[in-house]
Amino acid sequence: MKDNDSFNATLAAATCALLGSAVAAPVAAQDAGSDWSFDSALLYYGESDGRVSDFSAAVSALRDLGDERKFSATVTADTLTGASASGAIALDRPQTFTSPSGRAVYTTPAGAVPLDDTFHDARFALNASWTQPLARLYTVSAGVGFSTEYDYTHIGANLSLARDFNKRNTTVNAGVAWSQDDVKPVGGLPIPLSQMLDVDNNSNKLGGSESKDVLDLLLGFTQVLNRTTVLRVNYSYSDSSGYLNDPYKLLSVVDPLTGDTLARVPIGQGPNGVYLFESRPDARTKQSLYAEVKHSFGDPVMYFSYRYMTDDWGIDSHTGEVRLRWPLGEGYIEPQLRYYKQSAADFYRASLVSGSALPRYASADFRLGDFDATTVGIKYGHGTPNGNEWSIRAEYYQQTGSVPSEQIIGNQANRALYPDLSAVIVQFGYRFRP
Amino acid sequence: MNASCAATLTRDADHWVGRFVAMASPCEVLIDHAPASVAQQVLDAVAAEAWRIERKFSRYRADSVVHQINISTGAPITVDEECANLLDFAATLTRLSDGAFDITSGVLRKAWTFDGGDGVPSQEQIDALLGAVGWHKVDWRRPVLKLQAGMQIDLGGIGKEYAVDAAASRVEAIAPGLSCLINFGGDVAVRNTRQDGQSWRVGIESCDRAGTPMRIVQLARGALATSGDSRRFVFRGGHRYSHILDARTGWPVRKAPHSITVAADTCTQAGTLTTLAMLQGENAEPLLQASGMQYWLQ
Repeated sequence: MKDNDSFNATLAAATCALLGSAVAAPVAAQDAGSDWSFDSALLYYGESDGRVSDFSAAVSALRDLGDERKFSATVTADTLTGASASGAIALDRPQTFTSPSGRAVYTTPAGAVPLDDTFHDARFALNASWTQPLARLYTVSAGVGFSTEYDYTHIGANLSLARDFNKRNTTVNAGVAWSQDDVKPVGGLPIPLSQMLDVDNNSNKLGGSESKDVLDLLLGFTQVLNRTTVLRVNYSYSDSSGYLNDPYKLLSVVDPLTGDTLARVPIGQGPNGVYLFESRPDARTKQSLYAEVKHSFGDPVMYFSYRYMTDDWGIDSHTGEVRLRWPLGEGYIEPQLRYYKQSAADFYRASLVSGSALPRYASADFRLGDFDATTVGIKYGHGTPNGNEWSIRAEYYQQTGSVPSEQIIGNQANRALYPDLSAVIVQFGYRFRP
Repeated sequence: MNASCAATLTRDADHWVGRFVAMASPCEVLIDHAPASVAQQVLDAVAAEAWRIERKFSRYRADSVVHQINISTGAPITVDEECANLLDFAATLTRLSDGAFDITSGVLRKAWTFDGGDGVPSQEQIDALLGAVGWHKVDWRRPVLKLQAGMQIDLGGIGKEYAVDAAASRVEAIAPGLSCLINFGGDVAVRNTRQDGQSWRVGIESCDRAGTPMRIVQLARGALATSGDSRRFVFRGGHRYSHILDARTGWPVRKAPHSITVAADTCTQAGTLTTLAMLQGENAEPLLQASGMQYWLQ
């Protein structure tokens, strides 16, 4: 040991003599190539009035294998509880519904928006991806994903290719993604536009499960405009086909004068009104254009993005978002503002009118209605000296929708046909390298 | 060197990249956020320092100090302070390696070519050359050096790392606090941490696939040096002879790691350790462990 000490001391002294007194600060090197890095997040999403709440935990592991080859895998577990709006309208009298399982009934009090409160699910998802250079200036990445929950299974795969141009100031990328989702709801799949029946009557149910296929194509362009500004533009095309209904969504059938739901007398246990299951087209084509500008003002960095989406169901949406990352002490603070607005699908109906011809497609799902939503949020991130980072993010979401006036009949004018929704989101993240 | 006396500066996403050739190696300077004029000044200073050291200490150049010494045929030569410092440093390394490292061992290259072929010299050839090898045969009384006739010195083993540190000092003098990464053929130094707190990423070349980094080291500050035989070796009778010669025997070190990378405060320190560890052959790792420095073996 003494030998080692004198060896080291002699070497240090000799170096110092050679280089003079202006010797550099101590080395700070870290092996990056063979290390894993991890990104973990806990997220809580809670809607107002005790509607849906979701608690999710995710861990991503990234392995940088050097040579610009990267492998990553993400595991996510989710638990969803609560109730979501079924699509049936509120009435001045209590309403009874058969639960999706077809085994029981539940009652919505007079004046309340009917919620399907048997909602409880756990989801587990696994995603993996691989990225590597293909040739000089080309990067290829491929991924697979799988998720499962009680009544739903998803599998997907994607492939993308990027090429750098112009001294790597321009990147063009193209990608393709495919997924297949199988839905197998509790109590079977309802026949579209069939009436909700009494408990244990399954004559309105289709067999086992249905599936949908989604094909996405993406074309992207990233341009470094100058040292402080980067522009990204993406165009995407998405084609869904197969079973696109939500098997739990209903429409109330109403009287053409009063606008109240027609009464029905159950034989045993069952609904006390006439409710039909929704019917959506079996194909949907979406196109979207996304632009993002990232600009740094020295240390602060500003992000601005806008997305326009249009589909052949008649939904057009606009999303604008601005974020500003401001350095603060050892970390940063990032306020965020997002605004979203969409028009209703052509077949969106607050209710169906008794005596009128039944449309081929109809849905009262609020997510297909006309609404706008504002999200305000703030994030604080803090870097530790060894390069790890923790962060906390809080957001408040407020959604306001409306039903077209020509769809409002009689007594419906006195009731909230499109209930407002608000939600809070809290996320804690920790990124570390073991 | 005249033709390659051109340094080019280009802008990458958040830094500048300066490139030039010196000491028969591709050289690179990465400069963190800085105005173009400062980046150009930094590159010019780094390239000037590299070329100055090359001109002064290259044994191939007729106007170099080393060449003057090598053609002195036994006459005393008075050297300047910088050269004296390098000779003192080399003498210390010889002492620390019990004679395995020796700046007079360059003549052995007449027998060893290390071109990846199978040319292994005979013991007679080596013995003949060993007569002109050995620092103990040299009369060094700072600042006067007297070699025996037929002896030569070669500062190639320490010159490049020294040049990296010297260039880093030049940058610190003209742009204090600026973060830049200086890389002379794989010997690297970083003086200051980057503005955004991120590290410079340095790839260590894989032995099996030259040109592709086998691992990435994040260097916030300090230096890295690599010694290896990825390109220079002799292959004969199933043995791979590394280009590291033991000055005492005239033979390459056997069973040395293919490559050693060390992180240290200065490039000179890092480079010295890689060289001394290589000379230990299969005992390279214990020496590296005892040094307390961070190291990577291949």
